[in-house]
Amino acid sequence: MLANTDIQTDAGPSDSTKRLVPENWSPEQETALLLDLCEAQMDAALRDADHSVDKLVSAFTQLVDSSRAIGALAKKMPATGSMEHELLLMHSDAITSQINDAVVAFQFYDKLSQRLGHVRHSLTTLAMFVCDRSRVQQREHWLKLITALRRLYRTAEERAVFDLVAEGATAEEVRASVREREPVENDVEFF
Amino acid sequence: MPGVILAVDDSASMRQMVRYTLENAGYEVVQVNDGVEALDFAKDKRADLVLTDVNMPNMDGITLCKELRDLPHYKGVPILILTTESAVDTKTRGKQAGATGWMVKPFNPEQLLATIAKVL
Repeated sequence: MLANTDIQTDAGPSDSTKRLVPENWSPEQETALLLDLCEAQMDAALRDADHSVDKLVSAFTQLVDSSRAIGALAKKMPATGSMEHELLLMHSDAITSQINDAVVAFQFYDKLSQRLGHVRHSLTTLAMFVCDRSRVQQREHWLKLITALRRLYRTAEERAVFDLVAEGATAEEVRASVREREPVENDVEFF
Repeated sequence: MPGVILAVDDSASMRQMVRYTLENAGYEVVQVNDGVEALDFAKDKRADLVLTDVNMPNMDGITLCKELRDLPHYKGVPILILTTESAVDTKTRGKQAGATGWMVKPFNPEQLLATIAKVL
């Protein structure tokens, strides 16, 4: 992972890179351009992932339907007490348990898409903001921007990262904290 | 006692996971993409339970909850919210809109079925 923007390279900038920094460049426009580039890269990666996950979910549901049919057949078979029949029932139960684990795991992609959607929105919002010279110089507008971005974060995990940064944690400290975090069991609340 | 469950979510993969879990337990599942489609269904037909996401295009889950409670035949129907949101203020809005309960994604199939059995 690159942590330093002072990147050394032997080759000079390519023509396409030069087009990204025109003669009449400004720090604000370049910042906005690179934020937009990050957003576009994230969007493209998510679209590719969506396509693959759709296929994966489709294959998974077909497997589930087949295993369900096999399980139903195994239960309908006369109880002969044979080892083969017992093994069939045991494997059928094991598959059901593994399917339940997979159902939970698949849902993390949905959560990931949502969280990355919020990051994309943050990047485009910041890109527009830095180009607005009337607002970018005023603290109150930064406060409004950060308040608006904070409202985007709907999951406990997103809010935890925001709070760490707000408390002064560095990006490396945030990463370490996320790595150490135990998965949370989600409770049900009745009203 | 299986019945008809109206499952509302804009994510295709989430709908598939919900469908698998509920159909496997014997429920009939009607799947729709958002609150508008759910309300269209609910105006003419009564489900035994509604399971809805919150953040969806066209109409969110909390607005759907309010709209359903305005329909005479949905006054007593359990409405469970299934969402990634866990903020207290959003839960309060859900409660005020008439939701029966709140579950945070990802759901565990056994936990979802136990919750549904409890409110049906």
